[in-house]
Amino acid sequence: MSEPEPETQTESTDEQNESASLIDTHVTADSETGRPRVHGESVVEARNLDVHYGEEQALSDVHLDIYEREVTAIIGPSGCGKSTFLRCINRMNDLVESAKIDGQLRFRGTGMYSDEIDPVALRRQIGMVFQHPNPFPKSIYDNVAYGLRVQNETVTDDIVEEALRRAALWDEVKDQLHTSALDLSGGQQQRLCIARAVAVDPDVLLMDEPASALDPIATSKIENLIEDLSQEYTVVIVTHNMQQAARISDRTAVFLTGGELVEVDDTATIFENPDDQRVEDYITGKFG
Amino acid sequence: MTRESYEAELELLREDITDMAELALDRYETGLEILETGDEQRARQVIEGDHELNQQYLDIESDCIELLALQQPVASDLRFVASSFKIVTDIERVGDLATNLARYGREAGGGLDIHATQIGETAGEMFEAAMVAYVDDDAEAARAIAARDDTLDERCRETTEAVIRDLMTTRAWEPDGVGQRLQSASRELLTVRDIERVGDHAVNICARTLYMVEYDDDLIY
Repeated sequence: MSEPEPETQTESTDEQNESASLIDTHVTADSETGRPRVHGESVVEARNLDVHYGEEQALSDVHLDIYEREVTAIIGPSGCGKSTFLRCINRMNDLVESAKIDGQLRFRGTGMYSDEIDPVALRRQIGMVFQHPNPFPKSIYDNVAYGLRVQNETVTDDIVEEALRRAALWDEVKDQLHTSALDLSGGQQQRLCIARAVAVDPDVLLMDEPASALDPIATSKIENLIEDLSQEYTVVIVTHNMQQAARISDRTAVFLTGGELVEVDDTATIFENPDDQRVEDYITGKFG
Repeated sequence: MTRESYEAELELLREDITDMAELALDRYETGLEILETGDEQRARQVIEGDHELNQQYLDIESDCIELLALQQPVASDLRFVASSFKIVTDIERVGDLATNLARYGREAGGGLDIHATQIGETAGEMFEAAMVAYVDDDAEAARAIAARDDTLDERCRETTEAVIRDLMTTRAWEPDGVGQRLQSASRELLTVRDIERVGDHAVNICARTLYMVEYDDDLIY
């Protein structure tokens, strides 16, 4: 894996201290100029992360930092482990009985799989949007309010409006808030799911191929939305669409078969001059 | 388009550019000959034949745009298409400069004696070698060719000075007169300038080749 070498490495003085950050990786070396590049705070840190489903290895020794208020794209061929990585970040693999997770995965310095972490509370901070829009068979309003209600939080019209505005859907649905969400188009349903995710004001938004089931116009709206959301949220997006990754992400991580993270760098470098020949072969279509 | 046919398109682009460069070089070398011979018929062939190079340029440019639009190349493919897109402009300019030389030679009736053939050959060699470096993905050769440009520039400067010095010593009562000498000196200076530009285009091709092969843009900026 060729994660650019951290410019500064401040090892935790107490490796047992679950709340300490593993490595201060806010500054990386620009792979082109060698100059330090400043990132936001490292929100998610994966170190030596291995995931097995039974005997099958899905992720192998992954080291990866997800930086605050950046869009990180994860690309790679089918079965390379990119969705597995995404699911690890909000502990969705807890629901898979055969899944075994080794190594370290930290969210703002705290081990995600430590006993002190409540997965439900964690998922409030790390929202997820799936490939196919999955609104509940409820009204638009109730869909947005759902996350707050299950956490016994007060739902106000202002909160719902704000979430819909953040998802760039308000103008299209403001006069039909109490009609069924299932009557919306596919693109609108996906933006409603994003509104539902941001209504609880998460820290990180995970998106698993959020536009793959949408037409080009709806896709364009989602991509614009992702760019806007990255002003306030940290976004991690899994996509098979390399042009989409190139368009919308700040950094791109390339996983290849066997769950190996082969290269991560700023997106322009990955698509103009990748370091690893396997990445070159994959993105140019010679392999994969 | 499948990956195989896409790769065939990329290879075809390289071949088309090579063919165009060979034609431009042929025209340029003919232009150098016309400087000496003043051959009117050959001059007309070079000048009127320029539209052929212009058409090849437009066709290749169109091919590059189509590849970018339909294939959205990335990584080395992107660098190849982007470099080719720029290099084809340099080749077309060399064709234009060849027509200039043909015009100067025709107007002068040949006999332009300012070491133009010698420095012209050097510039032509640089252009030809730059195209070989591009075709062969040879970064080291590209660097070596680009390094020759300083010598060419120096020789062009010396030649320019010689022309001006000669003009300053021309006397009004000499047989060909100042007016005629001014005209020929002007052609000689333009000839040197155009030859020097051929060297510059060779350097441009080397710069794009380095970017294409090694992602090295030092010579571009």
